[in-house]
Amino acid sequence: MAEYTLNCRGMQCPGPIMQLFTQMKTALPGDVVTIVVTDLGFRTDIEAWCRKTKNTLVSLEEKDGVITAVVRKGE
Amino acid sequence: MMKLLIIGGVAAGTKAAARARREYPDAEVTIVTQDDYVAYAGCGLPYFVGGEITEARELIVRTPDEFKHENRIDVLTRHQATSIDAAAHTVTVRDLNSSTDTIFPYDKLIIATGALPLIPNIPGANLKRISTVRGLNDALKIRAMLDSGKIKNAVVVGGGFIGLEMAENLSRRGVKVTVVELKDAILPGFDPEIAALVAKQLREHDVAVYTGEALTEIVGNTAGEAVEAVTTARRLPADMVIFAAGIRPNTAVAVAAGITADRGMIIVDEYLHTNLPDIFAVGDCASVRNRQTGADTFSPLGSTANKTGRLVVANLFEDTEKFSGVLGTTIVRLFDYHAGRTGLSTQEAKDAGYDVETVLVPTPDRAHYFPGNRIIITKLIADRATHKLLGAQVAGTGVVDKPIDTLSVGIAMGMTIEQLSGMDLAYTPPFASALNSSIVAANVMLNKLAGKVRGISPVDLKLDDKTLQLLDVRTEPEYIISAIPGAINIPIEELHPRLGELDAARPTVVVCKVGRRAYAAALELTRSGFTDVKILDGGMTAWPYETE
Repeated sequence: MAEYTLNCRGMQCPGPIMQLFTQMKTALPGDVVTIVVTDLGFRTDIEAWCRKTKNTLVSLEEKDGVITAVVRKGE
Repeated sequence: MMKLLIIGGVAAGTKAAARARREYPDAEVTIVTQDDYVAYAGCGLPYFVGGEITEARELIVRTPDEFKHENRIDVLTRHQATSIDAAAHTVTVRDLNSSTDTIFPYDKLIIATGALPLIPNIPGANLKRISTVRGLNDALKIRAMLDSGKIKNAVVVGGGFIGLEMAENLSRRGVKVTVVELKDAILPGFDPEIAALVAKQLREHDVAVYTGEALTEIVGNTAGEAVEAVTTARRLPADMVIFAAGIRPNTAVAVAAGITADRGMIIVDEYLHTNLPDIFAVGDCASVRNRQTGADTFSPLGSTANKTGRLVVANLFEDTEKFSGVLGTTIVRLFDYHAGRTGLSTQEAKDAGYDVETVLVPTPDRAHYFPGNRIIITKLIADRATHKLLGAQVAGTGVVDKPIDTLSVGIAMGMTIEQLSGMDLAYTPPFASALNSSIVAANVMLNKLAGKVRGISPVDLKLDDKTLQLLDVRTEPEYIISAIPGAINIPIEELHPRLGELDAARPTVVVCKVGRRAYAAALELTRSGFTDVKILDGGMTAWPYETE
């Protein structure tokens, strides 16, 4: 299982979700991607995206305007 | 020595009394009010119900004792003015405790009787656990009911500011709240797409909102307490019913004395005179001139009441200070969402005969890369002929009071969109974007006024129109997250090679997140021979309806 980290601070939508989308295409099922984002709209976006894809939102935290999401690639 | 008598002691009345004391140290200043309390912050009542304001005394600016000892102002609570004899310069006042009448002579009379809540004339309206939200007594009663722990479900009748603020605060107290609004939209005075965005936010906070429904009955239990509210469309559990379905000016005594009223309001001139000598009217009972249309309007707001209460004192003997009127500038906070308005709404501008253009522009409220930035949506309403800014509305989780105040000053000064675009506004990343949100909106408006692009409001987009081609030019993951039902996804980078998938003859609406990509795509489609292309104003960010 591989772990990836995407630093998307300062990026506006759709930057962060596109980065994650591209990373997920090369990742294997079970791989974990941590993504750090300052666009607060990402919060609802990542929840909806994981719900509609086979990926799992492992955790989602917001501290001082910075969102950290951990996503596991689904089967 | 002047005898100044003031009827009413909330905002306007006490403001007038306090300034009169400063301007006329020798005057005899008396306030009579039928209320138990004076000088309380009526606009703060919902927050006292919700608990954000802990104690009732925090809402009381000044007590009758303080008025007496610190200001030499006599305040008579539970004293109701029952008649005015304008010729004799007297007011008959009833002591509500002893039911005795006293005649008060005056040299100058200020009427600040405020407004009364409208009570729907329906079966069950007099049950227990039903309240208006007008006085401090109402708020104390509601809080006591909540503290009893028996209130699980509440119905709020009326989707104006007070109703929605009550919905928020009851919800904060753990009550399941339903708002019932007679009109097709909540938030009167706001454009429908902004009202729809606010309604969407309320629903996301578990407040149900039903529009276009009338309350027809309240059903009680054997103890005479409300348990159910019935509307024209449904039955709702209701351990408590809040009437916030509007207010009307309290003018019966004034009208009986021959004071001119129209549409329920005491009509005053810009110096706040009524038609009778030495009688003035201020606050919610009186008309205010609309700054743009010149019409006498009912605009009951604490800000106006405080201004007119203060100003009237300058005009007691001669006309020295003119009231500038209002633009209908208001703002509301509902949970973490904010909405403000100023100037004419789109409909009001059309009704006033303007050739109207509008824009709906989402932007971050500060630099997009600065942590903590939040989206706000700016709507501008302008006159195509003169390019003058006529109205503005701003909504979102970000800061909206700053742009609304800026835009309100612009409207008051007759600013054009070109002038707004060129404004020198404060910038540094923690506070604003390099291109301020209002300036971005002005620039979009200039593009529209120049005919570079045509827009369609979300309220005008007919999804059931089969001839319509709805093109979503965002990236695939954005489209997966949420899209308007029926939209075709062609990311803008792929648009050129995939043009063949679209029909150039059909009316086409292009949508993206905020409008920037849609604008670029619309230009490309038009160049490629598409004849009827519009962009969805505000994009997905301002889309207030269902997505899939």
